[in-house]
Amino acid sequence: MSAHVEMPILIVDDYKTMIRIIRNLLKQLGFEDVDEAADGTEALTKMREKKYGLVISDWNMVPMTGYELLKVVRGDPGLTKTPFIMVTAESKTENVIAAKKAGVNNYIVKPFNAQTLKSKIDAVFSE
Amino acid sequence: MKQRKDQQPTHIAALLRASDRESLSSIMERAQVDAAALRPLLQAIDAAIYRELKSIADYIGFLRQEISALQPNDMRAKRIPSAGQELSAIVHATEAAGNAIMERAEAVMSADASNLAAYKTFVTEQMTAIFEACSFQDLTGQRIAKVVETLQQIETRVARFADATRANDANGFANDTEAAAAERKVRLYIHGPPLAGDGMEQSEVDELIEDKTKGASQEDIDKLFS
Repeated sequence: MSAHVEMPILIVDDYKTMIRIIRNLLKQLGFEDVDEAADGTEALTKMREKKYGLVISDWNMVPMTGYELLKVVRGDPGLTKTPFIMVTAESKTENVIAAKKAGVNNYIVKPFNAQTLKSKIDAVFSE
Repeated sequence: MKQRKDQQPTHIAALLRASDRESLSSIMERAQVDAAALRPLLQAIDAAIYRELKSIADYIGFLRQEISALQPNDMRAKRIPSAGQELSAIVHATEAAGNAIMERAEAVMSADASNLAAYKTFVTEQMTAIFEACSFQDLTGQRIAKVVETLQQIETRVARFADATRANDANGFANDTEAAAAERKVRLYIHGPPLAGDGMEQSEVDELIEDKTKGASQEDIDKLFS
């Protein structure tokens, strides 16, 4: 984890409280360079302006969902290698499979705890 | 002006041809007999149509009563907007409480602990504020109860209306916006938070993610969709 704490992380969620929770958890893990976006469209704009080492995104947002963001990111040569973790209350089997098919690196079901977030970030960087 | 015979209407021609065989008076007599024979039938048809129209008028009256009992204007103008306001207040209250709790927690986490007595006093103050913020649950609980009561009232009325009218559900959507929202949810796999036992646990998600990472074939994935 320590090798990656300098990298910028983008949190994408339309619920400000959740952004704050994730930001605090990331802070506890040593990540200080954390940006936020309220949906996929805003996230894409930020990702094209700044190179992020990790995107942590909700699924259900308007106008662009996290699932659509993931597909656009994987289809964009400049962004395609960006690690992407989905953090969502969408926990149907079809959601997980669709996200995996679209190229998600890991998938966290809300509500989650700090240990789960840490283990998934660790897993992404150990790939 | 004298018309040629082949330019006259065909029914007159037929009548004239018939007159070659029988007199006009006998034709009139036969017509009167036929009309008299048809009278009971026509009266029966009149009565049937009257009964049918009376039945339709009665049903329209019944439907108007049932729609009145549904109190749609009360629902639209008062109950549903009121429930919406309650839900909006719940969202604001939970958000405000969440922010208040997090602010206090963040303050504790970043506090200077070098002076133990001052640190203890500070932590106690912050914890008290967190307890106070948690009181939002009392108010939101009462608001939720009001919304549930409204939904139950609407459910009761709609159920009574559906039973009384023996209405069948039509296919489709109320409008284009509703149809587009439904299509978006299907296309983008949007279900919302599941009820207990309805969604996958984190451990099950992990197994699925790890299985695929270890190289599940497209066929395996397709099977899960079929």
